[in-house]
Amino acid sequence: MPRWLALVDGPQTLGRGPAFWSVFGMIVLAAALLPTFVNAFAVTNLTYFLVWVFMALGLSLIWGYAGILSFGQTAFFGLAGYTYGVISINLGDAGLWTWFALLLALVLPAILAIVVGYFIFYGGVRDVFVGIVTLSFTLVFETFMAQTAGPEWTIGSARLNGFNGMSNMPPLTLPWGDNPVIFDGPAFFWLVLALVVLVYLGLRILVNSRFGNVLVAIRENPDRAEMLGYNVRLYQLCVFVIGSVLAGMSGVLYTLWGSYITPSSMGLTAAALPIIWVAAGGRKDITATLLATVLLTWLSQQLAVKGSQYALIWMGVILLVVVLFAPEGLFVTAWKKLRGGRRMRQNATVPKVISSPSA
Amino acid sequence: MATILETRGLTKYFGGLYAINGVDLAIEEGELRCLIGPNGAGKSTLFKLILGSYQPSEGAILFRGDDITTLRPHLRVQRGISMKFQVPGVFLELLVEQNLRIALQRAHRGAALEQELERLLELIDLGHQRSELAANLSHGQQQWLEIAMAVALQPSMLLLDEPTAGMSPEETFKTGELVKKLNASGMTIVVIEHDMAFVRQIAKRVTVLHFGQVFDEGSLDEIVSNEDVVRIYLGKA
Amino acid sequence: MTFLVQAYAFFYQFADAFAFLVLCGLGLAIIFGMMGVINLAHGEFIMCGAYVTVLSARAGLPLPLAMACGTLAAGLVGLILEFLIIRRLYHRLFDSIVATWALSLIATQGMLIVAGPSIEGLKTPFGSFELGEYSFSVYRALLPLVALLLLGALYWLFVRTRFGIYSRATIQDADMARALGANTSRIYSQTFALGAALAGLTGALYAPTMTAVPMMGQAFIVQSFVTVVVSGADVMLGLAPAAAFLAFIQSLLTKSYGQLIGQIGLLLTVIIVVRVLPKGISGWVLQRNGDR
Repeated sequence: MPRWLALVDGPQTLGRGPAFWSVFGMIVLAAALLPTFVNAFAVTNLTYFLVWVFMALGLSLIWGYAGILSFGQTAFFGLAGYTYGVISINLGDAGLWTWFALLLALVLPAILAIVVGYFIFYGGVRDVFVGIVTLSFTLVFETFMAQTAGPEWTIGSARLNGFNGMSNMPPLTLPWGDNPVIFDGPAFFWLVLALVVLVYLGLRILVNSRFGNVLVAIRENPDRAEMLGYNVRLYQLCVFVIGSVLAGMSGVLYTLWGSYITPSSMGLTAAALPIIWVAAGGRKDITATLLATVLLTWLSQQLAVKGSQYALIWMGVILLVVVLFAPEGLFVTAWKKLRGGRRMRQNATVPKVISSPSA
Repeated sequence: MATILETRGLTKYFGGLYAINGVDLAIEEGELRCLIGPNGAGKSTLFKLILGSYQPSEGAILFRGDDITTLRPHLRVQRGISMKFQVPGVFLELLVEQNLRIALQRAHRGAALEQELERLLELIDLGHQRSELAANLSHGQQQWLEIAMAVALQPSMLLLDEPTAGMSPEETFKTGELVKKLNASGMTIVVIEHDMAFVRQIAKRVTVLHFGQVFDEGSLDEIVSNEDVVRIYLGKA
Repeated sequence: MTFLVQAYAFFYQFADAFAFLVLCGLGLAIIFGMMGVINLAHGEFIMCGAYVTVLSARAGLPLPLAMACGTLAAGLVGLILEFLIIRRLYHRLFDSIVATWALSLIATQGMLIVAGPSIEGLKTPFGSFELGEYSFSVYRALLPLVALLLLGALYWLFVRTRFGIYSRATIQDADMARALGANTSRIYSQTFALGAALAGLTGALYAPTMTAVPMMGQAFIVQSFVTVVVSGADVMLGLAPAAAFLAFIQSLLTKSYGQLIGQIGLLLTVIIVVRVLPKGISGWVLQRNGDR
């Protein structure tokens, strides 16, 4: 196995070895086969849960692995969504234009992240102030977009539409003679599923690599990491950009899913949700984050469907309980409890060698 | 012998307080220098200025002849300066092994990295505790781990800020032997210390700092025979 | 003559924004600025104060008394929350962010379920006065004075009373304060409760000028944080100048371009200030004067 692929197991991720990967494989297979035995509505629903995974993974990377609390994920989410909307409405769905729109929707957040990240990390903004600056900046974006309701706010043929939201953007389309492939329904689901698997595996390799080792060191003690010769600011900027592109991916896919994007997806509550998922599952592990995101989005939907107004209250309670009793996150804590018991029993059989310093 | 580190008129003040006041220092390549002085003399500040944690208010720092005064810390480290802080700065939430890996991975890869890792673990006697959380180590072991990390960078110049703080006499002696061994292999080492027995064990040349200025400099015997030095500092030892 | 009226109109806007920022920031300045706890539920303490005030006034209490009830209620809730939750999170920055956010979520949603989307409000007392073609609310014109009075009272509290001195000592160095006999956990809860009560007072003061809705905290929280961040850790030194500076910028922009642009300008200013003066105004002043 090539060395880089072996990094999919490593110190910065939980779960490894044949047992883990067999289970993973089965889950992916089951998911892929889902459209064959559930109805279209259920497929669309599951797609919706998966759409949010990228943003959560991005936040886990930035916050859990690099120690940077950024409230800016939703800004990149919104920017990507609006970019896709504007470009695809203007260029239409002929040829590969929709894919071009998708690409641009990922590139623009990256550029913005470079600018904002440079301002933050190279400007010496640290700790909680990063959160404040990113939140302010997200709210600026939201406020600005909310007041674009007037007809003069149009880019090409796409009206920004303010707080009413932008809609009617075309789905991803691949030209294929007379029958272009439209990524709707199951096709869209498979696309999103494939992306989730790719991004998940890619991130596992990234965080277990040398790059990941440095990130974790920066999280623990950025000054010390700098004293080991690492260009800390550059690492922070890089991880910030990667996280932003991931948030953007969620943004585009969300826009494609509902054919709709609105400024409220960049508001205070929207900014809180990824933090809730990531904190509840365990921000320091991407598997925990992924599971928590899917579970919590499903849970809040179930609560909403059952007519319960208590959805957000339950979210809040779960979060509070997690912070007080399992601050590393529910899944991470559970995993460690399961594993920890086993490791302690193993150590008991190995004699400890106590060497005394030679005088 | 080439001068590896030089400071010219180095000055650092915080508000109204002069922590370092016009220090001219010259360290030769391959030297083993001890820096002593009463608390508050500015020793740690001097180290932080050399490493780049602090920017000087005035003066210049030259490393191998190049002016590094405005260079960022990580670039100074890449040039060959490495430091062990007074307060152990190991990554507490990471394993011992991970700590060392992070220090090693810039310069080594693959099998060579693993080899170096083993060698360092041997050196500091933590081979059997490689999968232990750094936070669970004793204070002395944490100090050693940090020394090992500083050494892992293969620096040309190593700065040690009170490496034996909190260590038992045996551990202190062992540290001294380690320092001498590293110096014998060609590494320039500058040590800040309060433990005079330790200084005696390793020192060839000693610089005394007092109120942010160089008070005296010479071999240990010369320093000890300087009555003023004895009065301000050595009297306590 | 109209120039004077225009000038006063602008001053009124400025003073109004100034009062809002000072009052928003007061409670948070104690909790965040002094104690270092990031309280994302700050807006909900304000909401609590507003709701209790409105409900008490509707139940028949005279307005000042209703406001006192609102303030006390918020302080009490603060005391309880500190005891149950906050005190475990003092050195856990990220966890306190997440926990207080959770509290905020529970509070807003809970209020929505219990009290509905809005409750019938109060009338703004004292009526209005007219100058030229403008009419101004007497009540809102008085709020800046109230804000300044509160600042003065807090100064007196923290500098001249025993509680204040113990509080500042504990916050600066808890171990030392404990060694000198201070009951640090009691001081932490009292200081936190004070911050919560001040937030409640803000809610109480603004209750007659706006409709009480469960989400109202959100209108305050961003302003609160930006003011406290610009102010820096020393409340006495930094809060008033920070509020004045931000209020000026916001009023100027609102006058020329409308409220949303005013809001954007405020946020952009904060971003720039964080970058340029990372310790806020008070931190910058203290550094210039030679303190380390």
